[in-house]
Amino acid sequence: MTRFSVQATKSSPHIDFDPETRILEIRGESYPENCSGFYGPVFDWLERFLSDARNDRVELNMEILYFNSSSSKTFMDLFDMLDSEAAKGRTIVVNWRYHEENETAMECGEEFMEDVQNIRFNLVEYVD
Amino acid sequence: MASNLYKYYEEMRAKGTILYFNGPVSQTMVEGLAGLMREKMRAEDAGMASVQRVFSILVEQMQNIVRYSSERSLHACEGLGEMAHGQVVVGRESDGSFFVACGNKVRAEDVDRLASQLEALRAMGRQDLKAYYRERRRSLPDTDSKGAGLGFIEMARQSSRPMDYDFVPLDCETSFFSMKVVAQ
Repeated sequence: MTRFSVQATKSSPHIDFDPETRILEIRGESYPENCSGFYGPVFDWLERFLSDARNDRVELNMEILYFNSSSSKTFMDLFDMLDSEAAKGRTIVVNWRYHEENETAMECGEEFMEDVQNIRFNLVEYVD
Repeated sequence: MASNLYKYYEEMRAKGTILYFNGPVSQTMVEGLAGLMREKMRAEDAGMASVQRVFSILVEQMQNIVRYSSERSLHACEGLGEMAHGQVVVGRESDGSFFVACGNKVRAEDVDRLASQLEALRAMGRQDLKAYYRERRRSLPDTDSKGAGLGFIEMARQSSRPMDYDFVPLDCETSFFSMKVVAQ
């Protein structure tokens, strides 16, 4: 599988999915004009990756400064996809990273965490 | 026209208006205006939570215009994204809290649906809104709209009081929709 990488724009995050290390990163802001259009290829890649990579541990690092309501729906779909994979016995770790002063990002992380069952969902606070 | 502009300027200032825009709205405009407002609030040392709420409401309202305004550019080229006509206002209430308001034309057939959605949200408290948001986030199909249909609930959650809205019928096919959200 090839590495999946997308540069950040003002309204869409930097994405870097490495099939070798099985570390996935989504960083930046997320309010693209067409959310399903932007994230479509991300889901396609993940689907192939998950069926390819057997039972190895997968880690997703997310550091989202702001996301709009459409992105919120998309992220829920993403976590649901990973959650059902984790239900089959695979270890999936999500690190939801937020700045210590970014209360909104922390609360959003908490709400996602409450909505998944099998992922290891960590809230990770960072300082400058 | 030229002499009217000073009158508008003074009126806006007296009403606590920080930003007023009336014209074509595209995704580029959403990024520009919301980004500008965020920079301005940061420069004036507004709290991070307050800056984020205003940014968030502004993005949701402007993206609603881009997606749903019934007044659209006929010349929108493929690949350049959508361009739609609308109005956006950011200002401060007399108590200092920020508000974000928007206005745009909508199809008359959509008025009842929008009004009943907004009316339902007005009746909900904080916990109800949270539960409703999480339920809709899971259950909404993507095909329903170009967005996720969560925008109104998101704004209601950022709002310090029930959201104000209004519809003015213009003709058989069109109404003017406006809403105002006072950020927490």
